[in-house]
Amino acid sequence: MDAPPIGQQPTHINPVNSMNEPWPSPENLAAATNKYRQGSFVIASRKLPISKAGPIEAMEKDIKIPVPEMIFGDNLVSITHAPTGWRIEFNARDALDAVDKTGDNMLQVAYAGEWSASREQTSAGIREIVRPFDWSYSTTYKGTVVHGNEGADTDTDAHAADTSRRLEFAPTNEPIPIELLKRRDPIQFFDDVMLYESELDDNGISILSVKLRVHDERMLLLCRLYMRLDNVVCRIRDTRIYVDFVSEVVTREYVIKEANYNDVKQKLLISGLRPDGITIALRDANRIAESLPTIGQTLESVSLASPRE
Amino acid sequence: MSDLDKAIAQLRACRPIPEAQVREVCHKARELLIEEANVVTVAAPVTICGDIHGQFHDLMELFRVGGDPPDTNYLFMGDFVDRGFYSLESFLLLLCLKVRYPDRMTLIRGNHESRQITTVYGFYDECLRKYGSANVWRYCCDVFDYLALGAIVLGASNTLEPTNEATTRDDVEIEVCNADGDAISHFGRRGKAGGSDQGSLNGKTGRTGPPGSGASGSSGGTVGNPAGAVLCVHGGLSPLIDTVDKIRLLDRKQEVPHEGAMCDLLWSDPDEIDGWGLSPRGAGFLFGADIVKMFNHRNDLSLIARAHQLVMEGFKEMFDASIVTVWSAPNYCYRCGNVAAVLELSEDPGGQGFFSRSNGDVGRSDGGVNRGVLLDSDDGSKRGPARRYRVFQAAPQDSRGMPAKKPVADYFL
Repeated sequence: MDAPPIGQQPTHINPVNSMNEPWPSPENLAAATNKYRQGSFVIASRKLPISKAGPIEAMEKDIKIPVPEMIFGDNLVSITHAPTGWRIEFNARDALDAVDKTGDNMLQVAYAGEWSASREQTSAGIREIVRPFDWSYSTTYKGTVVHGNEGADTDTDAHAADTSRRLEFAPTNEPIPIELLKRRDPIQFFDDVMLYESELDDNGISILSVKLRVHDERMLLLCRLYMRLDNVVCRIRDTRIYVDFVSEVVTREYVIKEANYNDVKQKLLISGLRPDGITIALRDANRIAESLPTIGQTLESVSLASPRE
Repeated sequence: MSDLDKAIAQLRACRPIPEAQVREVCHKARELLIEEANVVTVAAPVTICGDIHGQFHDLMELFRVGGDPPDTNYLFMGDFVDRGFYSLESFLLLLCLKVRYPDRMTLIRGNHESRQITTVYGFYDECLRKYGSANVWRYCCDVFDYLALGAIVLGASNTLEPTNEATTRDDVEIEVCNADGDAISHFGRRGKAGGSDQGSLNGKTGRTGPPGSGASGSSGGTVGNPAGAVLCVHGGLSPLIDTVDKIRLLDRKQEVPHEGAMCDLLWSDPDEIDGWGLSPRGAGFLFGADIVKMFNHRNDLSLIARAHQLVMEGFKEMFDASIVTVWSAPNYCYRCGNVAAVLELSEDPGGQGFFSRSNGDVGRSDGGVNRGVLLDSDDGSKRGPARRYRVFQAAPQDSRGMPAKKPVADYFL
């Protein structure tokens, strides 16, 4: 039986990728959320304009670091297992909360030395760094897992409370089946949702976005951080969520890739790109992902299927 | 119709002009700009605009909302290029208008008007794509080097000229209008009781109308120096600059350097701190309310207008309305969904205003120290210029000649 999409947007509200007002207001979040049901799972995504001053102030107070200039605070992607209420979601607030707030691993722009040397005499009094934190917004975010039975089907609430404690990701050796995902199965639901973006004050880019594609039997979600600090470093942090709708197993893979900026450039040069091509390639996370070495990786899974009685 | 008028017409249709003509316009523009001081003096009325970033169709919308040049005087605070798809057409149109109506167009330099930045953020690629060579990019960069670093607006009125409304209200300090020119909200002078529709400017309380029509920040009306001019600069202040005169002494005709005051003016940001601070990035200054208030007092300014930072509401007043960020690129990068704004200052009808006292040149060599520095004024009757923010949205989709940005389903891995 085909599962029809539920909760589609009312016609009087334009999707955000339409340039024309009206866009849904934050008060109207539910109406702005696209939902798709597949088997036991409900997949939801929401795209709204960047946050306004009020919500930005509130978020900065909450997470205690300045937020990037493009912050999509109302955007959301979530995968909910209806029978148990188990849910993993991706949102900007939690992603930014996972940014290092100590300033211990703080990067510096390429010309920081030159910049400060030229100012040593003229502005010697000014030494204090305002709110040190990882301003490159290199989050370690792998999604927010909600164990509770919130949103669970009402007739299974009692079960949900019992089982939710067990529903934790645990290490696995079973990788995401890439070959199955390479097949051109029809895409039933697709979205590409930005969570935040910073231009790093024109020193590069830091962008966190979530893509998802849902097929009849499986789905893949990719939450990717791409951070390029010009002349310093390129970073990718990928969280992949794979859901097998038949076995109801959810797999989470987290991959860290990183290389020195000049090494990346060198690699692109060797691959035959001309200088202009390199500039363009450096804006393209997909292109850069291929040429960055993996420096860290974890693989976990959780089975949400109810035990056979 | 002169060649220049033809070029303007062609650019208004978003069609690039031939390379030879670009060269000629850039040459003429340089001859004009070389005569301008580092800080250009501009008489009100004037409409002050923030970042454009190559969003040509939105620039056309800005002209529709703010009035067509040369009927409206414009002051653009830099960042004409990069990021958007039509940096070339946007900048060349503004430049042609500058050459055609030099006294009615003021262009000052943003941090993107630089060889280094445009190479990375799009303008260079765009020139290469549209002309097949980097010549046009080079001509434009040569113009960038001659752009002024700031502007002083004199003779702005304390009261707003009526827009679509019939009556002038002299108790209104700030008015926010939508793209049709209808006033959405008014904010009275601080200290004056009884503003009937006085709302909250920080957008947290009260109705705000369409997105962004409520301003943000800490403004509750001006409490600064009553007799001041408005300084316009792309980024902000510099610890090396305590008087406007010191900006006038800089050698600006160069690529934006990493060192010195010129860099700071184009790059620094206001922040909720005391005094000066360093950006955690290792380059760039942040400055607090006390710095702005002291600078304004010392230089007889009532307001600093700057751009450089994206604000969802199109404008953001900070530090008791002593500084405002104006942002004029709606739906920035075609995906942020923000509104944009321009700031209108009207002409003082009596021809007096604070013109005579405010050119920033006279009697200020003592830096104002002998008069003492008032960091907090408790006199609510002091007057900053009346400000009208016209808030507008991105140009309608069908006029931008671009495919809709619907996500295309792909088999990503």
